[in-house]
Amino acid sequence: MPRVRLLPQDESFEAPAGAALGDLLFSHGVEQPCGGRGRCRGCRVQVVAGALAPGDDDRASFSAVELAQGWRLGCRARVDADLTVALGRWSSPVLADDTPLVLEPRDGLGIAIDLGSTTLVAQLVDRANGQVLGVRTALNPQARRGADIMTRIDHAMHGGAAELTALVRAELGRLVGELLAAHPGTPRLVTVAGNSVMHHLFAGVDLAPLSTPPYEPEQSGEVALDGGALGWPGCAGCPVVALPCLGGFVGGDILAGLLATGMGQDPRPSALIDLGTNGEIAVSDGTRMVCASTAAGPAFEGAAISCGMRAATGAVSTVRVDGDGLAVTVLGGGAARGVCGSGLIDACAAARRLGWLAGTGRIKREDRLIPLAPGVALTQGDVRQVQLAKGAVAAGFDLLLRRLGLRAQDLGRVWLAGAFGNAIDRASAHAVGLLPLPPERVTPAGNTALLGARLALSHDDHAYAALRARCTHIALKQDEAFEDAYLEGMAFP
Amino acid sequence: MVDLSPLRDAIIDGNAKMAKALTDQALKEGTDPQSIVTTYLIPAMDEVGRRFECNEYFVPELLIAARAMKGSMELIRPLLVKGGVQPIATVAIGTVKGDLHDIGKNLVASMLEGGGFTVVDLGVDVAPEKFVASVQEKGVNIICLSALLTTTMPAMKDTIAALNSAGLRGKVKVMIGGAPVIQRYSDEIGADGYSDNASSAVQLARKLAAAA
Ligand code: B12
Repeated sequence: MPRVRLLPQDESFEAPAGAALGDLLFSHGVEQPCGGRGRCRGCRVQVVAGALAPGDDDRASFSAVELAQGWRLGCRARVDADLTVALGRWSSPVLADDTPLVLEPRDGLGIAIDLGSTTLVAQLVDRANGQVLGVRTALNPQARRGADIMTRIDHAMHGGAAELTALVRAELGRLVGELLAAHPGTPRLVTVAGNSVMHHLFAGVDLAPLSTPPYEPEQSGEVALDGGALGWPGCAGCPVVALPCLGGFVGGDILAGLLATGMGQDPRPSALIDLGTNGEIAVSDGTRMVCASTAAGPAFEGAAISCGMRAATGAVSTVRVDGDGLAVTVLGGGAARGVCGSGLIDACAAARRLGWLAGTGRIKREDRLIPLAPGVALTQGDVRQVQLAKGAVAAGFDLLLRRLGLRAQDLGRVWLAGAFGNAIDRASAHAVGLLPLPPERVTPAGNTALLGARLALSHDDHAYAALRARCTHIALKQDEAFEDAYLEGMAFP
Repeated sequence: MVDLSPLRDAIIDGNAKMAKALTDQALKEGTDPQSIVTTYLIPAMDEVGRRFECNEYFVPELLIAARAMKGSMELIRPLLVKGGVQPIATVAIGTVKGDLHDIGKNLVASMLEGGGFTVVDLGVDVAPEKFVASVQEKGVNIICLSALLTTTMPAMKDTIAALNSAGLRGKVKVMIGGAPVIQRYSDEIGADGYSDNASSAVQLARKLAAAA
């Protein structure tokens, strides 16, 4: 088996011949902001020993000089023989596009944590240069007490709060312990980015305000704990900071996203959108910022869809028009077992183009189905679920824009955060009316919660406090115009 | 009586302006307000409901039809009250305590109104005591509870318990609904009925009213 060696951290591991380098790098903390499509250079590596033949995407992404220097896209490469590569700069490739990342070198190690409702990611970072030294991931053990945040709230409000807090703190402590065992040292700061519910449960803050109207957290501020008091190995005296929430269900993960995308410094209007179950959106007009959660629901994750599934082997992940029918691709290449979020949006866009789907969402075909593959088809009910979910996002987006007196076309850029945002076809998202802008102005930004948490490790301590102060949370329920915007948002353009 | 089938079509198509103008004209011409309701509005909303149930219509079409119907009801209602016409039954509807989602609840309210019921809309975040008070003060026969959050579903059970302890449970029927609600939950908390959409909610209410 070929051996792969990563620099500068000098980690070595064996890989099956032909393994995708991108997958190997991912488990060592290298993100793929564009979702591994060879678009963003986020996962770029420099070949130090061994060889990687450049492909078309490499030639499109790098200059001749860079290619000669050995720069390649990690996500496009396959490992066939022993290989040593140096990881590209840690600074966000996204930011490298236009906004320079102001990184203040700091002493010692730092740990950045993405505290998701489903998964946990912890990265050990050298604060002097921002290099990622190691990464550990785990499932959020709270998931045993319910998959979605409302179930967690429910459990917490019925006496389970302390249990949920202890579960996640212990699991994160385990990841931190593993990171430090591999790279001994004393961390100086740990930053944790999560949604409002994760923030409250981690910090041990009472969830009651988030469980009843008006659903506004009382204490949304930055909460600093002590690593020693948490019982985390090697962290005595090290502050553990939960990034503050922006308001309502818009949490520190979105604040981290504002940091990661540089929206705060961008003088042009821009927006960040996390297309998860809660569909959080932040919009900036260059000075002021507003944010909201649009409650899209789990349809984009394949839930509530008759043949829906997560993006795993057997999922129809892309759909396009082919002649007078549809052509699909299936993850893993085998037979289709269901459809995941990206396939769902593609399917609606393609069916609309073929005239199978009316603007109102009614399926016009005789069989009232959108057949995708043998045994996999969207029903009328499935399309209705898509309409409810994408309509909510579109309505929330529309209202936030209106708050700032903007129109969608005024936005210079829309950043997509989160796994679904990175997998979705942006042209399809535009075609079904989920995103108000064409693909050229929409950029997948990867795991912005993790990236933002990492930036917060070396940022001026209060840079994010200032950012937070500028961003006003809007409770959509209080907006009279929501219902009309929602009705409009449900239609297919 | 003049032919008002354009009114029926205006409502089915959700043309609020047209519906209002036609209603206004009909009333000025002396058409009996009650007959406008029974001959045109109720059949129109029944047709809208039918189209919704067979998936031809969805939430947007339902909502705009309901708005058109409401526009014409606003003109008719004061005249009905004057004429002392008896509604099928009086329904109090609300989104339960802790919950602010009201799009589904409003749809059910409109369909019930379009179905010939008198509807008392208690709004959102409605505490059990308010439902109880509505029975005591407004002579309500049916209570409709809506919940969209798994965390607020228990408030439905609490509301039924409050009706019980006020000694009113025997006097009213309780219907429940909202996306996370299922028939089994309805049985479990002792509600009188559940339906998963605004159109079948009307049929259920008619059944419960007839049984009362
Ligand atoms: C629109 C929406 C909102 C809007 C509400 C606007 C409004 N004025 O109502 C806004 C954005 C404000 C909102 C906020 C929140 N929401 Co919300 N919201 C939704 C959404 C997208 C659609 C709900 C809807 O209107 N459906 C359309 C209507 C027509 O359908 P319906 O209500 O089910 O009603 C039909 C039937 O159920 C039936 N029916 C309804 N009531 C009754 C009653 C009776 C008696 C009968 C017989 C029948 C019946 O008839 C109706 C018509 O056929 C859903 C997700 C989804 N995709 O469904 C989430 C959802 C319901 N929300 C959710 C959450 C968590 C919230 C928040 C708490 C947090 C957040 N994400 O921001 C907040 C706070 C809510 C609050 N303050 O109460 C979750 C609930 C999850 C759970 N496990 O409980 C959902 C499922 C989304 C998610 N995150 O998964 N939300």
